Amino acid sequence: MGPALNIILIALLVITALTATFSRDLLAAVIIFSVYSLIMCLMWQRLQAPDLALTEAAVGAGVTTVLFVVAIFKTRRKEER
Amino acid sequence: MRLFHNYHYVAAMLLFCIGLYTVIVRRNIIKKLIGLNIMETAVFFFYISLGYMDNGIAPIRVGGAQPGQMVNPIPQALILTGIVVAVSVTALALSLVILLYRQYGTLDVDHLMRQEEDEGEGEKGKGAEG
Amino acid sequence: MKRVVSLLFLAALAVLLLYVVANMPPMGDPQSPTRTHVVPKYLEDAQEETHAPNVITGIILNYRGYDTMGEVTVIFCALAGVLAVLGREKRGRIYAYADRSRVKSSTIVKTMVRFTVPFIILFSVYTILHGEISPGGGFQGGAIIGASMIIFTTVFGLYESSQRIPQKLRLPLEGSAVLTFFTVGVLGMVGGGNFLTYAWPHIAVSLQPAVVVWLTILVEIGIGLGGAMVFISILFSMIREGEEVAVVP
Repeated sequence: MGPALNIILIALLVITALTATFSRDLLAAVIIFSVYSLIMCLMWQRLQAPDLALTEAAVGAGVTTVLFVVAIFKTRRKEER
Repeated sequence: MRLFHNYHYVAAMLLFCIGLYTVIVRRNIIKKLIGLNIMETAVFFFYISLGYMDNGIAPIRVGGAQPGQMVNPIPQALILTGIVVAVSVTALALSLVILLYRQYGTLDVDHLMRQEEDEGEGEKGKGAEG
Repeated sequence: MKRVVSLLFLAALAVLLLYVVANMPPMGDPQSPTRTHVVPKYLEDAQEETHAPNVITGIILNYRGYDTMGEVTVIFCALAGVLAVLGREKRGRIYAYADRSRVKSSTIVKTMVRFTVPFIILFSVYTILHGEISPGGGFQGGAIIGASMIIFTTVFGLYESSQRIPQKLRLPLEGSAVLTFFTVGVLGMVGGGNFLTYAWPHIAVSLQPAVVVWLTILVEIGIGLGGAMVFISILFSMIREGEEVAVVP
């Protein structure tokens, strides 16, 4: 259970980071970035850091994602080519 | 091989390079900010996995936890401050992005630099005449 | 062209970083140099000197209190920057938010949000006050209050939520984190020690643990309240449309 769960979480981290980079729709990129934040919060718990897991959950999925969505709502949604 | 044992460090470096690629190559400013956040969380990940101990427990002294078995608490305290600074930087940068869009109408870095060159040449022409 | 050059640069950087990583001590080693010099003193003495079972709260508020003071200054400067760029509404004027979306929230969503927001705020108060005993602390509770106001604003609109937390409540409390730190620091100097000393030398030794615990709780409440108000103010400044309409109630 030990290293296998860590490897699965790391693979998910890399996949979500790559998907957030290469997607043309900015709203989709920001939502995938909030999934990245959630998996990073689980990773903090696997590294025995509960304070950091709480902070990352509250800040990453709560505040940063909403600020990005408000900024996208005020500007445009598709990346220009 | 040491690289297979330190796979946390390798993953942190890989995420850092992905974030750096996003900041350099993508032209939209909001995409660059997402890349900046990925770089910051990759550095935090590297730093916390430096302090990990095999079969360690969380550094909270309740329920008969022995201090000889806890993971390193100092990187966690420093990275807590780091997470707060990262969210502050993101908030300020996003407000600047909103102002930039109101002023110029575009968020593409190449178009912004071209518009600024045109404005600069217009002002230089006016300064030469006046 | 730019993509090829940047990929080459990133490949070189990745090779360099992997070379460094391969030569580091193995991860998780109990005898590694990061674990054997200073850390045992922190882990064993934190309970007696800071009177907080959570070692991390003891470190960030007591051993490394200056760093936390700098951190709350950074949050406050971010708020100052956002307000300088985007501005806030004039005091005493209730402003109407031009509703861009034609879709109103349904009754089910409104009822559920109105039902759960008090419990979220209750949980955040629990997190702030239990920062010394369990994982949590001042900043986490402040971020949770900010998140609860975010969901309230999303469902009900900016007009309703800026009536719940008006400007005359936010304005004095935004700087409360920095102010609390400076007050506790000056009180430490009054009590006979250096700046930001919790255990005052001038009072009896048997009273010192109680004073340390109460000062730590005071600092946590200050950080939590200040952080919450900063996040709510940043959100309100970013959402507002720019023109204000004086609404006759």
